Amino acid sequence: MIDFQKKTLSNGLTVIVHEDTSTPMAAVNVLYRVGARNEDYDHTGFAHLFEHLMFGGSVNIPSYDEPVQLAGGENNAFTNNDYTNYYLALPKENLETALWLESDRMLSLAFNEHSLDVQRKVVVEEFAQRYLNQPYGDIWLLLRPLAYERHPYRWATIGRDIEHIRQASMEQVRAFFDRYYKPNNAILSIAGDLRAERVFEWVEKWFGDIPAGRPVQDDIPQEPEQTAPRRLEVHRPVPASVIYIAFHTGPRRSREVTVCDVISDLLSNGTSSRLYQRLVKESPLFSNVNAYISGDVDPGLFIVTGHVMPDVPLDEAEQALWQELERMKNETVGEYELEKVKNKFEANNVFGEINVLNKAMNLAYFEMLGDAAWINSEVEEHNSVTTDEIRSTAQRIFRPENSSTLRYVADPSAAPTASDEA
Amino acid sequence: MLDRTIQPPFRIPDRLDIPTAQTVTLSNGIRLWTIHAGTQPLIRLSLVFRAGTRYQSTAFTASAALNLMSEGTARYTAAQIAELFDFYGIYYDTSIDRDYAVVTVSCLSRFLPKTLEILGEILFEPQFPPRELEIYASKRKQQLLIEREKPSYQARELFSQGLFGADHPYGRSSAAAEYDALTTDLLRNFYETYYTGGNLFAVVSGDLPTAHVETIRAFLDRFTATVPPADPGVPPTHSTPLLREKRDGALQSSIRIGKVLFPKGHPDFNGMQVAATILGGYFGSRLVKNLREEKGYTYGIYSAMLNMQHTGYFAVASDVTASATDDAVAEILREVERLRTEPVPAAELEMVRNIIIGEMMRILDGPFGIADVTIENVQCGATNEAVSAFFDEVRSITPERIRSLAEQWLDPATFTTVIVGA
Repeated sequence: MIDFQKKTLSNGLTVIVHEDTSTPMAAVNVLYRVGARNEDYDHTGFAHLFEHLMFGGSVNIPSYDEPVQLAGGENNAFTNNDYTNYYLALPKENLETALWLESDRMLSLAFNEHSLDVQRKVVVEEFAQRYLNQPYGDIWLLLRPLAYERHPYRWATIGRDIEHIRQASMEQVRAFFDRYYKPNNAILSIAGDLRAERVFEWVEKWFGDIPAGRPVQDDIPQEPEQTAPRRLEVHRPVPASVIYIAFHTGPRRSREVTVCDVISDLLSNGTSSRLYQRLVKESPLFSNVNAYISGDVDPGLFIVTGHVMPDVPLDEAEQALWQELERMKNETVGEYELEKVKNKFEANNVFGEINVLNKAMNLAYFEMLGDAAWINSEVEEHNSVTTDEIRSTAQRIFRPENSSTLRYVADPSAAPTASDEA
Repeated sequence: MLDRTIQPPFRIPDRLDIPTAQTVTLSNGIRLWTIHAGTQPLIRLSLVFRAGTRYQSTAFTASAALNLMSEGTARYTAAQIAELFDFYGIYYDTSIDRDYAVVTVSCLSRFLPKTLEILGEILFEPQFPPRELEIYASKRKQQLLIEREKPSYQARELFSQGLFGADHPYGRSSAAAEYDALTTDLLRNFYETYYTGGNLFAVVSGDLPTAHVETIRAFLDRFTATVPPADPGVPPTHSTPLLREKRDGALQSSIRIGKVLFPKGHPDFNGMQVAATILGGYFGSRLVKNLREEKGYTYGIYSAMLNMQHTGYFAVASDVTASATDDAVAEILREVERLRTEPVPAAELEMVRNIIIGEMMRILDGPFGIADVTIENVQCGATNEAVSAFFDEVRSITPERIRSLAEQWLDPATFTTVIVGA
């Protein structure tokens, strides 16, 4: 159980404080409700580029990193399709340094041309390192546009076309900041051995006078229902073929996705899971298998994937994955097996609560989904999933006409990642 | 009025509370370190065996023995063990390096007896079934082939070879096909020699009232006292100045630069760790500023001192854009040269001190972090007093000492450089 207090400042900033007396460290997390899903088709990769620019100095403070480091802290950030998250941990005595820094860059950035120029190059290198110069690096660049035709989830956070980054202008950067980096579009969460009352005072001091922005209401194109199976096969000079099957699910905060999460645990969480036991151990068709939910805010994906063993025909491997999905649709899961995945989920949750930064991040995340209090009902919600629900959900999700299949075929004679497909 | 240009007051602790690890030697000679800390009902137990890869006479024997201990015992099949661990939400992890093999279990306190019962099966009754070995070998073979496609993985392997020599126990890597030569007998022999009472120490952390400690002691008492197998030590190193591998169409080059120095017990190790941090040990370090923030050559660059049982080495690592490969190497060497000739400015040194101290606080925050530090210290033949020795060195080291250490130990003429890519 994670106790917390929540307040909204007059400028719309949501503030959450969790007291944890077991640690000398304080954690601060700032979540902005903007991700790749808010981008325009012709200007992708912007949310992520912007994350880099947030470290290029703010209106009153030339460097973000140095003061954090001087105060014994460590910070980082990530961007995904739904949101952009900034976090730091530092000795609790130095909490105010974190508030000073985060409030100043919420107030305004320095908008420095040199910083923009360098970060464009750094992001291009990040693209090369993670997506192109890596075996299997382009899988998600292929799978997203296969599974999505309209929704902006069809591009990765790095962007649809790296030219968009190369051409990003200062004007666009400013407009992006003015639209999304406002207190009313952000959630601030703080955890540590601190008195909540005192923390709220400090937050008011540093964030209270930041002007609110206009409410953000992006009209995000929603994905129409898929009506026919989709397939894509590419050849790459990799050592092993990979199969990905992606199914559309509901949004993160739906019962369906909770049930899907349990199904994914039954299929592949741990070495006793179905896919691992049957397809890696009993008949070794794959060297590894995985099933997971994408966990997106808007309707997301259920992914089933595996690296195929050499000499196993891809058709046979793909069929074996389907066989396990069919079992989920046609047979009732045993009570013991269901209890097992629920126990595991609960243990995992307790382990996650050790870390103060983890807690601050999760509080902000659940608040973004709708209510920070959901952090405490997750376990219960998983525990209430029934065998009937599993079966009916599997029947609804695991249909060929709801699937996008990517075959990434090992082929020594193929050219490396073709950038035109990215 | 709030002055946003001035950092709020902060302070860095002038002493660090060194967590005490209680230590006891059991009647069979096993040393047990106990860290009673944390607020969650969780326990983590690590058994550290002197059974790293340098003790094996046939490739992959050490890791296969470690990983197959849990794949079938006298009472349980591999599937049953997996089932039990998952049902009770127990985490079973293994790790191996050149010197040590570590078996770790983490569980909710209430499942401690059950956890130890299964762990006992694994440690005392492993069967190494041929069928499991076959599956394991083919799976790992494929995974290794995939890993070796990654430029950074290949650079890491070449770097070890370049630093120590291709036949050196710290430098060797083996062809994936050698997995085919593994036999149950090889694994059993390795297990019987190295997974013995005289060849390990144990560290337990978390929720540890006396009763739980007694349960763990009783478990460790099941090991028979044995004379530990002799440590053959390591031969002199034969380093190579340059190993360069070109890859067709590479977008990036994976670069490693470094040299073999000395193990953690050496009087200059702590000072060199500070020097390596200044150079590339944090975000905003000299290498990051130069190669990422000024030139945009790379997404990331790091330098560090790394420790092994019988030696240690200095390393710089980065993946850079292909066209800047040679310039990146030149810039790295230029930054090393600057460290050797100019004393570090006081402000920069203060920042690095605070960064290191903040990082120590974060690492030592929580029972499992303290356990990790304890394991590392015991492996180096030290106690957790080593933490305060390092802390004192970080606080007292002078710019002149850093410069002279760099001058003495970082002569670029003695470096090994590895480039995979352009």
